[in-house]
Amino acid sequence: MPDNDSALRRRKFLKATAAGSTVGMTALAGCQGGGGGEGEGDTDGNDTEESSSDDESSEEMESMGDQLPQYTYLNNPANYNAARHDAINLIGSQLNELGIDVSVEVFEWGTLYTRATQEFDFGLTTWNRGLGVYPGTRMPEQFHSSNTDPGGGNFTGYVNEDLDPLLFEQLEAAERSRREEILYEIQEVLAEDVPMHPIVQMPNLIAYNNNQVQGFTDHLAGYYHMEPMTNIEVTADHGELRGVWSETLGTLNVLGYNNETKLIQQFEMIYDKLVRVNGDLEPDADLSLATDWGRPSPDSVRYTIREGHQWHDGEDVTPEDVKFTLEYIKENQIPLYSTQWELIDSVEVDGQDVTVNFNSNLGPVHTTFSNQIPIVPQHIWQDRQDPANMSNPEPVGSGPLQYDYWDQGSELGLVSYDDHFNPVNFDRRIWRIIPESSTVWSLLNDGELNYLPFSRIGRQLSQNQENDQISVQSMAGDGWWHISQNTRQDGLGDKAVRQAIVNAVPKQAVNDQLLYGFAEQGYNLIGESFGSYSNPDVPAYQPENSLEAARGVLEDAGYVFDEDGMVHFPE
Amino acid sequence: MGKTEFFVRRTFQLVVTLWAVATALFMLFRLMPGDPTSYIISPQMTPEVRRRIIDSYGLNDPLWVQYVRYVQNLATFDLGRSFNTNAQVSEVIMTFLPNTLVLMLSAFVIAYIIGITLGVLTGWYRGSRFEKTTVFGALIGRSFPTFWVGIMVVWLFGAQLGLLPLSGMRSMGTNPSGFLDTVLSLDFLYHLIGPASVLAFYYMGYPLLIMRNSMLETLSEDFIEICRAKGLSEGAIMFKHAARNAMLPVLTAAAIAVGYAVGGSVLIETVFGWPGIGREMIRAVLRRDYPVAQGTFLVLALAVVIMNFFADLMYGVLDPRVTYD
Repeated sequence: MPDNDSALRRRKFLKATAAGSTVGMTALAGCQGGGGGEGEGDTDGNDTEESSSDDESSEEMESMGDQLPQYTYLNNPANYNAARHDAINLIGSQLNELGIDVSVEVFEWGTLYTRATQEFDFGLTTWNRGLGVYPGTRMPEQFHSSNTDPGGGNFTGYVNEDLDPLLFEQLEAAERSRREEILYEIQEVLAEDVPMHPIVQMPNLIAYNNNQVQGFTDHLAGYYHMEPMTNIEVTADHGELRGVWSETLGTLNVLGYNNETKLIQQFEMIYDKLVRVNGDLEPDADLSLATDWGRPSPDSVRYTIREGHQWHDGEDVTPEDVKFTLEYIKENQIPLYSTQWELIDSVEVDGQDVTVNFNSNLGPVHTTFSNQIPIVPQHIWQDRQDPANMSNPEPVGSGPLQYDYWDQGSELGLVSYDDHFNPVNFDRRIWRIIPESSTVWSLLNDGELNYLPFSRIGRQLSQNQENDQISVQSMAGDGWWHISQNTRQDGLGDKAVRQAIVNAVPKQAVNDQLLYGFAEQGYNLIGESFGSYSNPDVPAYQPENSLEAARGVLEDAGYVFDEDGMVHFPE
Repeated sequence: MGKTEFFVRRTFQLVVTLWAVATALFMLFRLMPGDPTSYIISPQMTPEVRRRIIDSYGLNDPLWVQYVRYVQNLATFDLGRSFNTNAQVSEVIMTFLPNTLVLMLSAFVIAYIIGITLGVLTGWYRGSRFEKTTVFGALIGRSFPTFWVGIMVVWLFGAQLGLLPLSGMRSMGTNPSGFLDTVLSLDFLYHLIGPASVLAFYYMGYPLLIMRNSMLETLSEDFIEICRAKGLSEGAIMFKHAARNAMLPVLTAAAIAVGYAVGGSVLIETVFGWPGIGREMIRAVLRRDYPVAQGTFLVLALAVVIMNFFADLMYGVLDPRVTYD
């Protein structure tokens, strides 16, 4: 079986992931990547065309430049994310077979993230990223040339001055068709330049006990979104939705958290948003605090606030609460909503209408603004100093679930707010804190728990879904495992090298062997889950003979392979 | 030197020791690689806001400035606020420490009662099959990883036999009104059995072996022969005379062990889902939550130092022959 088959031989596959682990452990000793050192790759590396005569070989040697430098591929520890750890080792091994010297080094997550985003001390890196409901929201942060400073967001150092204006223009375009047009162009450019490329499109996934819970509906944001949560039916006698998380929640301050998923899932149900989008990614009044909305101008939006709705403590929800929230987050510069409050120029109230005037034109207003900010009660928050730095242990919102109790470290209980305009179909939602995953699955099978808000893809998920009482529902999400390349480093600044690397990534093996087929091979940063925003003409970097294709890209660009199969710069 | 002088000197040493520990903690956490703000900032925040947050934590200040601020806060018993949750560190400690103390002290009581008793018996019946079996069992208990024993207990008695709960301090949905309401319930005792038993099994070996060794020494003393000559029963000699005199090393070891118990057992807390301070300490370290990590480790150090001091004092009370120099 040829080495560059997309479905690697199992023995070689296991060797590659294990060899990468060894490399990670000995990286400090300066050892090279596993694939090249194993010997197998050397043999298949000689399949490329090489000079048959000594004279031609020496001529080639003289005409080739320096070998591409060694690139550090940052890896997370296996206990942090085992599948991703193995995937990175596998990719590192594959790149060594290609002839690119890659050293996979394992770092604890905080150190890895700092090295990548602050110190830029990496060649390649991979973790999970998401775009949110509107795919263009994060594009400027990730690819604009002004964000290449430490902490700026464009950690690959990618600079494309032709692309820069497009990145902001798509956020300002009023018409969806124009936004699609611009995003199509952005996708083509990024697919060509590949500073960042999706390895696999990660799914939104939910596991549940089907004897007690039914009716999860798909939503790009995730199954925690209000729409799926208010669609499910709980058939258990106790009428409770019982979930679990592996670590303590820490805070219930919706204005003072850092966007951790475990807290997003709570606040999504405790608070209302001005406009929420449904599973079709369309603004939906049935899910929203506003019953109607309009765009008086490209730089403003008007919301008609629902009448007769109340906070969990019985006070009325008024347009003044909306105005207060928007001005409050701006005045206190609430960090998590900085992208939103920086847009706000002024807020006006006229009867039930709230008009927000922006500093500049804003196209996708509902997906970038209206659905982002939780509306908080003025009568609770107006006297609070430093709202971003307080704990708020008993939150008061207006969402379909209201706070019941919080036994810190053990359990959080939210009860149904029956007077909500879109109530849930269960009495209470309980989250239990259980760090041990085998206990979690045992409780889910027994029915003590009935859903897992977060299901890590792995052997336990794959095995347990075979049980009759366990159902696993999934859909393509908004995120992916990316492979990002530091364009500041020699070699990686050349898109030919980056394209070759992307060509060599064994995506099918990663998905089938490490993710048990739950994910989808990634091709486009804006995947098909985004509907018409996804450009269908973006080329798929997954040719049948991936290593051959990668070598071809390098050779076409003038790179030369030496007798050991290592890649050299053109003369 | 009298007891008063000893007390004053040891108190001064305690303060100096705590200052040294606090300084070491300050330096160690800041020497660790990784940026604490990576767990605080979100990609949703604009670059300017991210930079402002980093500045607000004072982590860009010179190290000596941060250190002075830290010592000043400690002097006023201000342990600071969590980077991750903004909760007062003292609140975090008061939330989770009682859970750990209940678990650990329960395990210690069980471990030391059984361990001391078995230590007395194994010392008395030295060379017997009972002694060999018991010592072997104690060594096994100390050798097996507690997390493995815990997982086996959860699997066998919880998942397979349904005799024990699999996780937590109380049953789901019970919503206690406070800590006392939590612990003063049969449901809580039911949940305590598993983790306390596993910990007791592990800790039992230590007092058992110390007591056994101390008994062997005591039994060789002349006064034991005198007790026998007086016609006292074996039981009276074993427990009223020999054990009481052999108890001292065990009691001082127990005092020090209680100090370490404050740190909890992160492995058992994880396996049994027990919301203790051990898990929070590790979480704080992994997330570079300096204030919580420093505060919890400082509390642990304080407990160890104080219990060590207490052990020294107790020794002098229990054994009148001990003098203070």
